[in-house]
Amino acid sequence: MLQTTTVVTPARFEQGLRYEEFLAQAKVNRDKFELYYKDQALTAADVSFFKKAAALPNGPAKILALAEAWCGDVFRELPTAERIAEATGMDLRIFLRDENPDIMDEFLLNGKARAIPVFVFYTKETRYITHFTERSSGAHKELAAIMDQVRSQLNLPPGTTFATAPEASKQAFLREVIARITPRFPEWRKESIKEMRALLSTALNLPDQP
Amino acid sequence: MQKDREVPIVYTIRGCDACVKLLRKWDSEGVKYEERRADLSQEVLEEARNYGSVVPIVVWPDGRIEQGFEGALGCFI
Repeated sequence: MLQTTTVVTPARFEQGLRYEEFLAQAKVNRDKFELYYKDQALTAADVSFFKKAAALPNGPAKILALAEAWCGDVFRELPTAERIAEATGMDLRIFLRDENPDIMDEFLLNGKARAIPVFVFYTKETRYITHFTERSSGAHKELAAIMDQVRSQLNLPPGTTFATAPEASKQAFLREVIARITPRFPEWRKESIKEMRALLSTALNLPDQP
Repeated sequence: MQKDREVPIVYTIRGCDACVKLLRKWDSEGVKYEERRADLSQEVLEEARNYGSVVPIVVWPDGRIEQGFEGALGCFI
């Protein structure tokens, strides 16, 4: 989990790309980033909460994002971080995951996976507040439930993973799970926002009623 | 090209652990393949999306399509 010392100093933070710089260097998916920026998931209540958080003396003033343009979770979620930054005045800086392994190492999912996006909230002095990784816990639970449903549909034993499924069922298992989770992505974007609010609410002791 | 049909085409993203593991395995086994990098070109990415949602995507010479590797859900594209 988080180290007691960090490579994210104020000077390092300043080296991160601004959103427009990130888009300019992106080789793929610029259309997707534009799409999800326009189709924003933040509600007025969300904006109000993030503004309240940002107004606190030790509230978030900076967001560090770990991202790569090729990643589907990134093009769905990063525009939301940009929207939060624009609405609140927080400084969003983006670091490419594969060019910044030392930063990524501080925020590995379950201590091992280089899952992105990661959004790290810092105070104006670059003191860590909290962070969000990849997708919400609600989305992870839903994925687990969908996998259960598909196992049952394909008559696979409980607990079968993609790795342990019989060769003959493996691709059907994966295809069916993908088909069921893809329509859930719009809802998962909202869940991500809800989770970021909850994380900040807890870290800042700021009451929140989404 | 006829040659394309003799080896599998694999759509990859080099930052994707499942893609790297698949290529490492194939390289160690001497499997011949044609790699198409979906992280470097919008055109290749769109081509990959015609076959699936998660890399690595393997298009076998007989037309079979496989996504992921060794059970990893891989990276959504």
